[in-house]
Amino acid sequence: MPKPDSIVQTPRARVKYLGVARSGTETLWAIRLTSFALLPLTIAFVVIVAMLGKADLASARALLGAPLVAILMILFVLASVWHMAEGMRSVIADYIRHQHMRELALMANFCFAAGVGLVCVFAVLRLSFVQ
Amino acid sequence: MAEANYSPLPIEQRRPLSPHIQIYRWSATMVVSIFHRATGVALYVGTLLLTVYLLAAAGGGVAFADVSRFFGSLIGQVILFGYTFALMLHVCGGLRHAVWEAARGFEPGARNALAWGSLIGAVVLTALAWAGAYLL
Amino acid sequence: MAEIALPKNSVYGPGKIWPKPANAKRLTEFQIYRWNPDDGLNPQIDTFYVDLDDCGPMVLDALLYIKNRIDPTLTLRRSCREGICGSCAMNIDGQNTLACTKAIDEVKAPVKIFPLPHMPVVKDLVPDLTHFYAQHASIEPWLKTETPAPEKEWLQSPGDRSKLDGLYECILCACCSTSCPSYWWNGDRYLGPSALLQAYRWLIDSRDEGTGERLDELEDPFRLYRCHTIMNCARACPKGLNPAKAIAEIKNMMVARQA
Repeated sequence: MPKPDSIVQTPRARVKYLGVARSGTETLWAIRLTSFALLPLTIAFVVIVAMLGKADLASARALLGAPLVAILMILFVLASVWHMAEGMRSVIADYIRHQHMRELALMANFCFAAGVGLVCVFAVLRLSFVQ
Repeated sequence: MAEANYSPLPIEQRRPLSPHIQIYRWSATMVVSIFHRATGVALYVGTLLLTVYLLAAAGGGVAFADVSRFFGSLIGQVILFGYTFALMLHVCGGLRHAVWEAARGFEPGARNALAWGSLIGAVVLTALAWAGAYLL
Repeated sequence: MAEIALPKNSVYGPGKIWPKPANAKRLTEFQIYRWNPDDGLNPQIDTFYVDLDDCGPMVLDALLYIKNRIDPTLTLRRSCREGICGSCAMNIDGQNTLACTKAIDEVKAPVKIFPLPHMPVVKDLVPDLTHFYAQHASIEPWLKTETPAPEKEWLQSPGDRSKLDGLYECILCACCSTSCPSYWWNGDRYLGPSALLQAYRWLIDSRDEGTGERLDELEDPFRLYRCHTIMNCARACPKGLNPAKAIAEIKNMMVARQA
């Protein structure tokens, strides 16, 4: 890594930087795949939420515990969480220039997305299987 | 780490950076692009709303009554409305990107139509979603 | 953090208001970014008045009017005055374009002229394009073949030749890359629309046998994938080319070879 205080780079060395990472297309594919899945799943999610709008605890539990609703919610959560993690990675890579801060932010992003995903799936499963 | 205006000299001796966001003219596609990113970040944070609700319904420690009251309150409804609009704007933006990734719709007329269309579509879909919520 | 605000040495303020030409009936005000590396001051915006009856129709004509008659130290790149060399690329009224093809009538007064955005400034309206050119060189803009060269020329059908239309006409003016916010925040690692358009020009050249290696060189989250289809590049191109479309096609090629 070039140290700004000591080494002056040639223009070509600056463009080459650390070379080619040989990755990036999987991220593009993950975004495309999750976006495609999220089209029908978001419609389902919005319908479910609309139905939950005025529901009390018992009807909410009954609705969310129903197998089809539970499956759709789990799929929606998993696809959303993967999609948002990839999206946020892009935002972090764009704006955070300091390498250590970037790594910390990427870790926090992963933990947040994984945490939200697992907790939501846990809650939906609990609604399906526990009285 | 690489810098945009890289130079080993101290800041006073470096070349100045020409103005960018301060002077660049905003266009429909530029606005709608930053909205896509902003709504994405808002939705990212907003997943906490869903998490809290599901945990409360599953009896995971948070009182359902409190959660329900919060979402029913004015501030809760405003937040939910904002979340819905962010979701619809992001979805319409996603559809717009799908068209562009298929390498179509780049001509001046088409790209502006897509930009405005996604904004209008988001407003319509938000209205539909909320109307549906009140009717269901 | 990516620097949204200008660094201390780049903050500009109001500058000199130059005298109006005498006996002029149609005057237009020009506000032009000035910076002199020799005076140790921050950049400033100077105000000039141009007599439209005594000046050609293009913004470049006005700039040369100012340079010839009002302030000879105004520094800018220009050459062909017909939109083919790419030298006079600058930001006029908020948009990147060539000064020689931008009519003064098309711009609301006062006409604000800045150098290409987010570039190191050499002097006045002249940006440092070293990194931009190095990025172009890095995509290896020449024919790569393993097959021994034929006796005459490499053959190419008219259909294949037409695929190069809208790509080969690039004049390397840098309007597109310097209009891209991703290039502003990450221009050191992101190649930018101009270099990527040229990369695509070689990727779809039917005579080229190095397609795989070219795609390998772009397989990087920064070099190619900082493009978020913001679309400023297609708007800015003074030759009507479409870098955004070329980049979309490159991304599709990258996916195609993995699927």
